[in-house]
Amino acid sequence: MIALLRKLIPLALPLAVVSWLGLLVCMLLRASPAAAARWGTPPDWVILTAQALFAAGIFLHERARPDRLRGTEFVPLLRQLLVWPGALAAVCVLLHLTQHLLAAYVPDRGPVLLNAFYTVNLGLFVYFLARTCYTWRSLVFFRAQPRTRQEWRWFEVLLGASLLFRLVSGDTTSWVLMPVLLGLAGLGVYLSAHQQWIAYLNRRQKWEIVFLQLAILGVMAVFVVYFLNLQNDPQLAGPLAQHAFLVLTSFFAGFYAVMGFLVTLFNLPTAGVFEQKREEILSMQRLSQLIQKGQSEKEVYSLLFDSAVQTVEADAAWLDLDTDNDGPGFSYRVDAGTREGICRLLADYNIGHIEYLNNDLPNSAGFRALELPYGSLIVMPLRSTKHHYGTLYLLKETRQGFDRENLSLLQIFTNQTVLSIENLRLLQESLQSERVKEELKIASLVQESLIPKTLPADSWFEIRWHSLPAREVGGDFYDFLQLSASRIAIIIGDVSGKGTTAAFHVAQMKGIFHSLMLLDKPERGQPLQPSKFMAMANQALSHCLERSSFITASFYIVDYKERGFAFARAGHCHTLYYNAITEETFYFQTEGLGLGILRDGAAYEKRIKNMYYDYNPGDVMVMYTDGIVEARNAQEEEYGEDRLRKLLERSHYLEAEDIKQSIIRDLEEFSRGLPPFDDQTLLVIKFKNAQPLA
Amino acid sequence: MKIAHHAINDTLTLALDGELDASSSVSLDTELTKPDVLDYRKVMIDCQRLNYISSAGLGVFISHLQRFQDAGVKLVFFNMQEKVHNVFEILGLDSLMTIVPTEQEATAV
Repeated sequence: MIALLRKLIPLALPLAVVSWLGLLVCMLLRASPAAAARWGTPPDWVILTAQALFAAGIFLHERARPDRLRGTEFVPLLRQLLVWPGALAAVCVLLHLTQHLLAAYVPDRGPVLLNAFYTVNLGLFVYFLARTCYTWRSLVFFRAQPRTRQEWRWFEVLLGASLLFRLVSGDTTSWVLMPVLLGLAGLGVYLSAHQQWIAYLNRRQKWEIVFLQLAILGVMAVFVVYFLNLQNDPQLAGPLAQHAFLVLTSFFAGFYAVMGFLVTLFNLPTAGVFEQKREEILSMQRLSQLIQKGQSEKEVYSLLFDSAVQTVEADAAWLDLDTDNDGPGFSYRVDAGTREGICRLLADYNIGHIEYLNNDLPNSAGFRALELPYGSLIVMPLRSTKHHYGTLYLLKETRQGFDRENLSLLQIFTNQTVLSIENLRLLQESLQSERVKEELKIASLVQESLIPKTLPADSWFEIRWHSLPAREVGGDFYDFLQLSASRIAIIIGDVSGKGTTAAFHVAQMKGIFHSLMLLDKPERGQPLQPSKFMAMANQALSHCLERSSFITASFYIVDYKERGFAFARAGHCHTLYYNAITEETFYFQTEGLGLGILRDGAAYEKRIKNMYYDYNPGDVMVMYTDGIVEARNAQEEEYGEDRLRKLLERSHYLEAEDIKQSIIRDLEEFSRGLPPFDDQTLLVIKFKNAQPLA
Repeated sequence: MKIAHHAINDTLTLALDGELDASSSVSLDTELTKPDVLDYRKVMIDCQRLNYISSAGLGVFISHLQRFQDAGVKLVFFNMQEKVHNVFEILGLDSLMTIVPTEQEATAV
């Protein structure tokens, strides 16, 4: 049904035009007896039907037009309504005058002219009403509930029905229909209450609207006066136009215009307040956009301060900041004495850091004593859940100067500011940590470059290593130095603590290792004794290690010619050893104090021992740091020396690389994916039965 | 890490409870740095509930060792768990510091 009606809508305008032409012909026939005698007199019902069809056509056409309201441009909408129909009214008046003039010249043609112009004016009036009603519809629907649309639809349906009344009831209005018509008028009045759009006008627009509404009412009056006059004219040939429908639509169009006019008129005095609120909202939007652009905290605070002062129109204001590096804060037309006085008073009341609104300062004893020229005060703290950034103070000379809206607006301002400040700080922190990360990466690269990349390789032994720092940079170290074709020095150690500090000491230790190796002169019969090496290293470190730091190390010199090695242990983990002859796996139990603990050289030397051991081909030596044996699993158990020893018992026959891999695998299996708690370093040496290459 | 104080006459006993790692060793260092610690003749460390000691924890004792010796204050450890004792031993601290099995022995030192 509705779909069918939709299809008929394009036909509405042609229908209106055709029925208007039919109406014109009928009226002319009725007005001219001669023509009527020739063509016949059309009956009343034909005229009434033509009138009804014309009105329905025009209204349906207007109804189907797209909404003329663009956004909130109410003034152009009304202006449009006035310009065209206004012109129509002028035409109506002009036609009326022309008709009078012409009637004076050709009296016998008087009735014909009158009826012709009546028909034209009726057409103009109906069109004007249709335009007005559907313009009002746009306004009624502005921000309206779906219910209102429903009500409007009923209003339209009933109006359409009222078109039929005249056809049914004849000239006299039936008393039965009166209540229905009154109800319709009531519905029109009810719909006229939808004037929300007026709230969206500013002061200037409201003035314009007032005049536009007046003009529209004027146009309507022109038409109404014309038709009222004509109603009693004996020369009018046809039956009177659609009473009920026209009266109702004119009533609605007029009433809505009057209501709109009155509402706008009474809104004029408060327009200023509305505009101020609007201004506040706008300045809030501006502020939030600006604040986000603020590059520094100072800029953000300054934006807040200026906006707050402007928006609430404060007479004096200042902003105290808690952070020292942001300078003395901001102030506006306020002297230090007043600031101090108010702050001290608030602190005395113990309300220095909470939201506070006092609209009647002269009536508070404390403030009266200060003899301030101000009547109202707002105190607004800037704080997040964790941090207090500062406090904003605003003063006005008048009493009752601030309202709740000011307060909530300031809350929004300060929240926005705090958010921006926190964002800025987070950004700075992340930049800082990014820098630190970058530096750590460099440190890690430097340390990486300190680790020997090329292993000493020879046919009489195999060395394999594994190193895994717990952080970017570690405290474990190891190094090799091929002293001659048949002698090699090896050091492994661990610096107390982790991370960057430890990494510095690692670099120092590496330097000490290579410097002291210069003292090894076996050709002169003065090979460097490992205990001597440790004593000297301890001496050197005493000058550059802080009191609570120490270093553990094991130092070995392996000699192919001697088929043995000398070593010393300074507090470092015991060396694990597999003897291929006795087939025993054991730890070297030697004594030795860590480096940097005793700073007295002579006392230290007593606590470090040399140890000599003869190796056999097939022997395996495992050196490691405590990160290996102290690795933990989820049950907080330690990997331990025993597990390591038992593992070597099973794997000693493998190549050095495979022994290393089996230890790493076992360690991973033990800790089951837990990240290393401490740096882990592992060296595996396997002695071979072969001549040195060189 | 919890540190309990107990002072009788000229002896201060600190009972360590938990793990002495990098962060908790700071509070131990604060305890030992207090000037009045040097007024005692002896400082006894009860290690019964000490489950773990990191190199930073060892560093704290090492850094105060010389200071205590200079002031004539004895530093005695007792009730030490095996694995913690092992750490002291590997580092060679057992020859440098007084570590005894029981409280009676510690009191007798």
